[in-house]
This record gives sequence, structure tokens and C-alpha cells, in this order.
Amino acid sequence: MNVSNLLKYCALSIAVSATIAPSANAITPDNQLVIGMSMDNLLSLDPASASGLDVVGVNSNLYDMLIELAPKEPSKISPAIAKTWTISEDGSRITFQLRDDVTFHSGNKLTAQDVAWSFQRVLKLNLALASTWKTYGFTADNVEQAIQAKDDYTVEITLPEKTDPKLVLYTLGSSPSAFIIDSKEVLKHEVKDDLGHAWLTTNAAGSGPFKLRDWRAKDRVLMNRYDDYWREPSEMSRIVMRHMTESQSLRLMLERGDIDIAMGMSIPDIEALKKDDNVRAEANIRGTLYYVAVSMKDPKFSNKKVREALRYLIDYKGINDSIMPNYGVLHQRPLKLGLDATLPELGYGLNVKKAKALLAEAGYPDGFKTSIRVLSQLPFINIATSVQSTLAQAGIDAEIITGTGNQVYGAMRERKFEMLVGRGGGGIEPHPHSSLRSLVYNPDNSDEAKLTNFQGWRTGFYSPEINTIIEKALLEKDTQKQIEMYQDVQNLYDTQIGAIFPISQMVDTVLLRSDVKHYEGHQAATTRLREVTKER
Amino acid sequence: MLTFQLSNVRFKHFLGGLSSVAITLLGLLALTFFIGRVMPIDPVLSVVGPDADNSTYEQVYQEMGLDKPLYMQYLYYLNDIAHGDFGNALLTGRPVIEDIARVFPATLELATIAIIFGIFIGIPLGVYAAVNKGRAVDHIIRVISLFGYSTPVFWVGMIGLIIFYAWLNVVGGSGRVDLAYDGFVDPVTGMLLIDSALAKDWDVFQSAIKHIILPAFILGLNAVSFITRMTRSFMLEQLSQEYILTAQVKGLPKHVVIWRHAFRNILVQLLTIITLSYGALLEGAVLIETVFAWPGFGQYLTSSLLLGDMNAVVASILLIGLIFISLNLLTDLLYQVFDPRTRK
Repeated sequence: MNVSNLLKYCALSIAVSATIAPSANAITPDNQLVIGMSMDNLLSLDPASASGLDVVGVNSNLYDMLIELAPKEPSKISPAIAKTWTISEDGSRITFQLRDDVTFHSGNKLTAQDVAWSFQRVLKLNLALASTWKTYGFTADNVEQAIQAKDDYTVEITLPEKTDPKLVLYTLGSSPSAFIIDSKEVLKHEVKDDLGHAWLTTNAAGSGPFKLRDWRAKDRVLMNRYDDYWREPSEMSRIVMRHMTESQSLRLMLERGDIDIAMGMSIPDIEALKKDDNVRAEANIRGTLYYVAVSMKDPKFSNKKVREALRYLIDYKGINDSIMPNYGVLHQRPLKLGLDATLPELGYGLNVKKAKALLAEAGYPDGFKTSIRVLSQLPFINIATSVQSTLAQAGIDAEIITGTGNQVYGAMRERKFEMLVGRGGGGIEPHPHSSLRSLVYNPDNSDEAKLTNFQGWRTGFYSPEINTIIEKALLEKDTQKQIEMYQDVQNLYDTQIGAIFPISQMVDTVLLRSDVKHYEGHQAATTRLREVTKER
Repeated sequence: MLTFQLSNVRFKHFLGGLSSVAITLLGLLALTFFIGRVMPIDPVLSVVGPDADNSTYEQVYQEMGLDKPLYMQYLYYLNDIAHGDFGNALLTGRPVIEDIARVFPATLELATIAIIFGIFIGIPLGVYAAVNKGRAVDHIIRVISLFGYSTPVFWVGMIGLIIFYAWLNVVGGSGRVDLAYDGFVDPVTGMLLIDSALAKDWDVFQSAIKHIILPAFILGLNAVSFITRMTRSFMLEQLSQEYILTAQVKGLPKHVVIWRHAFRNILVQLLTIITLSYGALLEGAVLIETVFAWPGFGQYLTSSLLLGDMNAVVASILLIGLIFISLNLLTDLLYQVFDPRTRK
């Protein structure tokens, strides 16, 4: 065989790529918004069951809500499908007056019957998103009575239990379960009385600014503009969301202009892109907190002195300075940042000497062995490593057990863990109760109660005193007094030393091409893309 | 030209192979099912999320049939499979079979282009190295093939993207087409190159080619190295045979000796390693699919595993088993077709 033959032969395959590779890559078209993001939690689009933040971002553009919360000021409520709403004197009933000019993507008119049906459906199906409603006393049995269409454009919600109606309004403006579904369209696809659940898992029947064209799990979501939208139709004719988990790939594509918006990138890539003039970063504070939790079912951690020692064995500042930039900001309270009732930071820091003294008082002068369960991903694993090293300084030998979300939070739900680094609570509603219900409240600490949706129960933290104030504060009509009560809870939680040690308030950093305008990331993840434009 | 009579092939042997396929698959099914059920991943939690209350959890637990004894679950599952129902996937809510039919063509397309690279680069390199045994060029080819075989695909993928996509701008980035073309062509075969050609959408076709070249080439690197090394050693064995010496002594031109005599005799062996490489590519594209956001079978299987989505996992593993067994059977058959000595 001679060399020239071989070269000809080899060159064949190379020539193929050389001839077909055009010289320039297409930059995203002016009228399409292309988003690269992880769709790991996007398992279903059904508003009754789809709880992940990713899906809220998708459904917020396919569906409408009765009311909306302002992106940066979430306690400010603005009208959407409901033009106006009134709360009865005794706070037990909310009446909504709806717009009469809204049509679903199917062409059906949106009426009060659709609104009532959509909310009733969540309770009747009793899937993931029924939880919040159940905490307000709604059940599959009472929901038809509680949520009713009074006429074509009036909806009345009668609260089954006394609660703060403002909290219910916040849920209506932020919960992924509060989207209004086209009942006629969905019922056409009902199978075995499932209220269209199977169909809505992969399809949508909304009235939002975009229509679902195609969703493929862990691949892509395509949406087309809905031209008959009751607000001004969007300038973007198409939204393309693409499942991308590799931060480096996201970065390259954003730099090259092949995507307009990138989410879920690693810190080094975010930092590198911040120096790029064509890209800008937008940080959104979310409701959830990064924390270290202990199980008070473990005798060691039920000892208050041990918990107090742990408080001094976490390097809050070091973690926030070195691990958390772009992931979170220092916060040590169970109430999320930005609420009127949130107290100033506590200022706890690493103090090994004090911790050792406390451990000795607790009967553990030489420390003990324990384990930390943690997700095997950033920043969780780095927080766990930091905690492991600071615990070691006081003689506590903590083994790190990594796993998937399923394994880590699964163990927590079964109260079978010792320590855990996680993220949660905070709630989506801009109301102190939302954070406290999720992280602190625990009305029944027995194993049989299985209050698995309360992290208070999961960690075995039980304070009747705190429970009582939380319950009373919810019904307090005097705003100032209510704030004071929520502040009391925070102080009590601090002195009683809860089982959850908040470290950082979650921040979600989104990277955008500079020419993308009017993108407003929403604190409750209900980011609406209807006003986004590109200025080139 | 070589001519063969199919009738010479022992079909009985082939049919015997098929029955062993069925038994192997059944074994694989049982093993995967039971391993899946004892894995420490809770599929209910994947459905309801970590914050659902207990009544929701219990309801979904029962709906998924997990309250039944393990053997009952297995019997139900077998019964469903016998009726062609592999269940729905948690990941997508759709029948697993539909999912696999959707994601598999993407991997098939990638692996096919990759194996083409493997064949067209690996074979000539291997032959060339063998012919020039011991010379510098042989050493260089061996080092290159060792490099291709031992370098992590994930890393090469990333470097490839930086050089060819970000710097040189000659290939596309992640995904199967430029994102702005996503969804322009309706799937017919699921293989975008074919679908876009059928739809005569040449923009999408060109974009799809730009996007597949790099991941396929990098995926094919392993195959290139493997095929190169194997071709070299097969050729060396042939070149040392007496008939080659005879041919050389007869004064036949060098290329005739190499290609008509030696190379023809390693074809069967080459077929075996190519089919095996192809099977490995189909199954081993996971990392490349992650780096290049390629929505294929590898990504699907990994996501399903992490979710504890056992319907999807069992069906996927059965498919992998089926692919390997079929490729083995095919190789067996080809041996019998091309090599009379193997016909007993």
C-alpha cells in the first residue's frame, strides 16, 4: 500500500467535515428567545403535580393566574385574570371579579367555572401540590363548597379554617398549583376519572402568552406566541428551552450567542462571564434557605448543649464568602430575607473553644461520631465538607454520606438521619407563616403523625410554645402585632436552639445576553417572558 | 469476488441461538427488576417531590402498586410485558416504549456516524501501521491509538467544543441542531439527518451535520483506536503467512498483496470487532450525550436510574441486552456466511 493511497483514503472522512462545515454559526433569531437550563426536575407539566421551580417557569408562560405578585416586590399583588377582589369583614371569604375578555388557547372562553374547577381539581387529585391547600383546611370533600363559581365571572373562596386571607392570596399569586386550566379542553382527554392528569402531564391547556408546541422530557420545551392573548401579545414569536446540564457548554453557547439566557451555571463560569461585555448577570433571591439540620430523635442532638455547640462549629462567614457567592447570601434566621418581620442577622460564627466547652458540659468532652447526609452536587457537598472540617476541630468525627435528592430527603422524611446539609423551607409566599410552617412548625411530633411536609417534624423539633404563637399570629389582624409575634417566634427559636441552622438564603444567578431586555426573574420562580424583547 | 450461498448456513444453529436469546433476556429481566426494587431510591418521592404530605405519598405509593409483595409486582409486570405493555415512565408520563422509540434513534444516528469514522479512519491506519511495522510511523499510530483509547471522552468532548466550536467555529455547539431550528422538522425516523433530508429542509440538515460531526467523531475515537489496533494485529498475522510470501515472490504488486490477499482474509475478524464496537457505542454514549446535550438513549437511561424509574430502566436494559445478543448472533451468522471453516 502506498502512502498516497492511504492519505486519499483517510482524507475522505476529513473532507466530509471540511466541506460541510459552514463558516459562521447562526446567532439566535431576533424573534426567538433561546434558554439553556437544566430540566432535571421537569417531570410533568400538570399544575396539580408539578412542583419543581423549573416547571413553574414553564407553566407561568402557558397559563394565567387570578392575580400576580411583582417580581422584585412579591408582597405587591396585581390583578391578572381577576380584575378586582374583596375580602369579607371576618376574613373568611374572598370574592374575585374576573375579566370577560380572556380566551384559552383552544378558543374556549375563560370563565369562573374554569377557575373553580382548576382549584378543585388540585384537591381532588391529591398530588404533590395539594399540600399547601390542605394546610389551609381544604380537602377533596369540602373543596366544591369552598371554591365556587357564583356566575360566569365571579369566583368565591370560602376559607374552611380561619387563616390570614393575605396568605391565601399570596398562594394564589405564586403557587404552581394556582394556574387556571381550560376545563372543557382537559375533560375531552380525561381517562378513568383522572381529571385529565395523564394528558396534562405532557400537554397544556392554558390562556397564557405562549402555547405549548412540544415538550420532551430532559430535552426541550417549545412554545409559540399566542396571538389572541388578552394582554399585548409578546414580541417573541417562539421560546425555546433546552435541557443543558453542562455549565461549560452553556457558557460557550452564551458567549457565542447561540443561547440568550443560561441558568444553573457553575460559579467559575458565572464569574468568567461577568467579565464579558455581551453578557449580564441577574441575581434573584429565592425563598429557600441552605441549612445544616440535625435529627432530634438522635439522643446526642436532642441535647440542647450539643445543638448550641454545633451553632459555634459552623463557619458561616467562611462558607458564605468562599462557597456561596452566586448561590446564596449569609442568613441565619428561619424567616427569609426581605419580609417586614425578619429580624437582623444573629452574628454567630465559628468559635471552637466555646463549642468544646459546651460539648464537655453536654457530656461529650472528646466529641462523638456522626454522619452528614448531603446531595453530591455543588454547593451542598462543599458546605458539608466545610462543616465536617470544623466539627473535627471539636473532636466530632462526621462521615459524609452523599446521595441523590431522593436519598437525602427521603432519609429526612423517614427521620432516619443524624445530620444533613440541605436546602428547603422558606416557602414561596412572601409571608412569615410560609417560612415558619415549612421549617419550624410541628403540631404533632409522634412518628405516627407522619407530618412529612413539615421540616419541623422531620427534624423532630417540637416546641408547643412556638406552635401556639405561629397559630395565633396567622389569625392576628393587627399587622404590627402580627409582625411582633413573628419576631417572638424567631427569638424563641434562637433561644430554644432549633434543629435547623440556616446558613444562607438562596440566590439564583441567571446569565443573559446584554441585548435581552425586560427579563425580570421572579422570586417565586414565576418568571414571565411575555415582555422580553431583544434590542440589537 | 467472494460469493457465498446462504443455504450453507446452519439455520438450526441460528434458531437455537434465538431460543437462548429469549432465555437470556428473561434472566436479565428478572435480575434488573429485582435489583431495581431493592435499590435505595424511592420512586414515589420522585413523583411527589420531597415536600408532599403523607396522604399524597401513600396515595401514589398505592397507585404504583408498591404496596404489593415483590413477587406479585413481578408477576404483574410480566403479565403486562406479555401484553406488550412496559408501563409508563415517571420521567415523561408516557409509555416507556414510546420514549425509547423517541430517544433511541438519536443515539443510533450518533453511534452510526461514529462507527463510520471508526471504520474509515481505523482500518487504513491499522493496515498502514502493520505494513510499516517497526518504523516510526507504526509507533506514532500506536501512540495515537493508545491516546484515543485512554483519554476520557468527557474531557475530549469539552476540549473539542472549545477548539472547534468556540474558537474555530467550524462545528455546532450542544444539541442536535442550532437551537433556533429546534422543532422545525417533524420526526419520521427520529434520525434528524434523514428526517430533515426527507423534509427537504436543507438548513436544518446542514445544521444537523454541523452538530453531529464533533460528538460522533469523539465518540468514535475509542472505536478508531480499537479498530486500528485490532486491524494492525490481524494484518501482521496475515502478512507473516506463507501465502503472502508466495504472492510476493510471484512478483505481485504490493497493493494487490496487501488488499486482495491479506486484507481480504481479515474481513471476518474485522466484522466481529466492528459489530462489537458498534454495540459498545450504542450503549456507551452517556458521557458524550451529557457534554453535548444530546437527547439520546444514554441520557434517558441515566436519568431514569437516578429517578428510580424502574419501568424505564428495565425496558432500557432489556434493549441493551437485545442489541448485544443480536449483534453477537449477527456476527455468528456473518462468520458462517463469510468463513466456510466455521460451518460445521
